[in-house]
Amino acid sequence: MLVGVKFCGGCNPRYDRGKAYEAIKKELAGTAELVIAEEGGEYDFLLVIGGCTNCCASYSQYHAKHGPIKMWDEAHMDDVIKKLKKQEE
Amino acid sequence: MALMNGAQYIESLRKLDTKVYLFGEEVKNWVDHPMIRPSIECLAMTYELANDPQYADLMTAKSNLTGKTVNRFSHLHQSTGDLIKKVKMQRLLGQKTASCFQRCVGMDAFNAVFSTTFEIDKKYGTEYHERFKKYLEFVQENDLTVDGAMTDPKGDRGKAPSQQADPDLFLRIVEKRADGIVVRGAKAHQTGSINSHEHLIMPTIAMSEADKAYAVSFAIQSDVPGLFMIYGRQSCDTRKMEENADVDLGNNKFGGQEALVVFDNVFIPNDRVFMCEEYDFAGMLVERFAGYHRQSYGGCKVGVGDVIIGAAALAADYNGAHKASHIKDKLIEMTHLNETLYCCGIACSAEGYPTQAGNYQIDLLLANVCKQNVTRFPYEIVRLAEDIAGGLVVTMPSEKDFKSTVKVESESGMTVGEWCNKFFAAAPGVPTEDRMRILRFLENICLGSAAVGYRTESLHGAGSPQAQRIMIARQGNIEMKKELAKAIVGIKK
Ligand SMILES: Cc1cc2nc3c(=O)[nH]c(=O)nc-3n(C[C@H](O)[C@H](O)[C@H](O)COP(=O)(O)OP(=O)(O)OC[C@H]3O[C@@H](n4cnc5c(N)ncnc54)[C@H](O)[C@@H]3O)c2cc1C
Ligand code: SF4
Repeated sequence: MLVGVKFCGGCNPRYDRGKAYEAIKKELAGTAELVIAEEGGEYDFLLVIGGCTNCCASYSQYHAKHGPIKMWDEAHMDDVIKKLKKQEE
Repeated sequence: MALMNGAQYIESLRKLDTKVYLFGEEVKNWVDHPMIRPSIECLAMTYELANDPQYADLMTAKSNLTGKTVNRFSHLHQSTGDLIKKVKMQRLLGQKTASCFQRCVGMDAFNAVFSTTFEIDKKYGTEYHERFKKYLEFVQENDLTVDGAMTDPKGDRGKAPSQQADPDLFLRIVEKRADGIVVRGAKAHQTGSINSHEHLIMPTIAMSEADKAYAVSFAIQSDVPGLFMIYGRQSCDTRKMEENADVDLGNNKFGGQEALVVFDNVFIPNDRVFMCEEYDFAGMLVERFAGYHRQSYGGCKVGVGDVIIGAAALAADYNGAHKASHIKDKLIEMTHLNETLYCCGIACSAEGYPTQAGNYQIDLLLANVCKQNVTRFPYEIVRLAEDIAGGLVVTMPSEKDFKSTVKVESESGMTVGEWCNKFFAAAPGVPTEDRMRILRFLENICLGSAAVGYRTESLHGAGSPQAQRIMIARQGNIEMKKELAKAIVGIKK
């Protein structure tokens, strides 16, 4: 499973988005491959990592088979991991 | 060309032959000059972050001209969402540099010239708008930095351009040729001018027919014959020239830059001329540029404010005063003031509207309110920061003293460094060097080189306070407010 990742621009993030990305990537190793989303790429899922509740990253330019999964809080990490693991099953 | 990164930007500057004077001498290798380099590193961050996926959403945009991804600094705002992202990008860069990163004036000039040329062409059948679009495509394609140059030296403030004793005190057209124009004069206080590949010139005030030779807008490469720059001094600037300068700089990586840009009969080819004597549009261009730039401060100053608040909180920690309730309250006040500025930046963006040319303009009233607050709140923020930090901000010995191994001739036989470290230790477990670093940072931003960008630029940049009050008076809609009051109290007429 290929997951395209899009970060918000990080103007005032309430947690370390980069660390969260690395942690999710590590946790999903062998289940899903996480890559930075690129236009023209085809993904199974799009993961949008926002820094705050506004979660303002634009993502309509990316193609994913299933709708985007959004997170904007460190506390969402577990949910994201669970959701993606479940999809793989 | 794809987006440049920071290193590529710095290399691109080396290809320019820009003429720079500093301390009365020409500086040939200005890219590596210790007083100039921090401002280059700072501007380079606008390139570096555009290549980082963690920041690209704010730092880049899709060009409406070419459909390609461009640095947001050369983008024409296509929606209120774009205007909001602009402010967020500026906050981000303020946070990452704690300095003026210099590229905003160009972005604000692009958007103002784009919409104004459209309206000039509509009235006069000129072709400025198409020329400007081609020019901007070139800027976007090559990922260039462009200085948005508006402010003239202005001479006697009580007189119009054409009434000045020296006609060069406002930049003007001195000759019109079949293939272009020749201009003469200067632009003062130019942010990042030396670090810019190009200059985009605009008139500085609304004008009458008598001033039509001064109603001129054009773009020019920074290193053409007849164009040169005289570097502006900043408080404590020669600290950057000291050997191995580090802690005493307060910010050893980044800084701002301003210069006087002189045009000594410079030829501008027609395809780079965007206003030539259409004096009735000078006011529109000034108002639009100033409006965007007053919005800009609701982002960049807020980002710098974020770092100041963090530094003040660390100073309190290091001093051991962090538990005092008034310190906590002062940090709250600083945050409140800073976020109020941000609210203004976001509000004038969210209330933006499309111009006739199609790009988005901010709400003028709210942008002027934003800038009026910027003329005040940063001063209160640095006052509170100085309060929290303590007097050592201005009385601390130098880094060399702290590191000195010279033995003092006294009974204890300790070195100068040991004495400094003994008497400037504060909270347990905090190295005195860390305390020095934070206090020097605050010194730099409150009254050193960085105060240029955080204080005086907040006051005068994008227009002195009175300029906003004039706009607030014009946009304030007092008549409607009178009607509201009449309706409530029952006055019929
Ligand atoms: C750090 C910094 C960076 C800047 N960067 C740029 C830049 O990149 N590009 C650019 O184009 N400009 C830039 N500026 C210029 C800025 O826009 C001007 O400083 C501002 O417009 C004020 O002009 P002035 O400095 O000439 O002050 P003045 O115009 O001399 O103003 C001084 C005082 O006199 C008052 N005054 C002036 N004229 C009149 C009058 N006719 N009637 C009544 N009162 C008057 C003003 O309200 C003010 O209180 C920068 C300025 C600073 C300080
Ligand atoms: S999601 Fe929040 S932190 Fe990230 S860019 Fe948007 S507003 Fe800033």
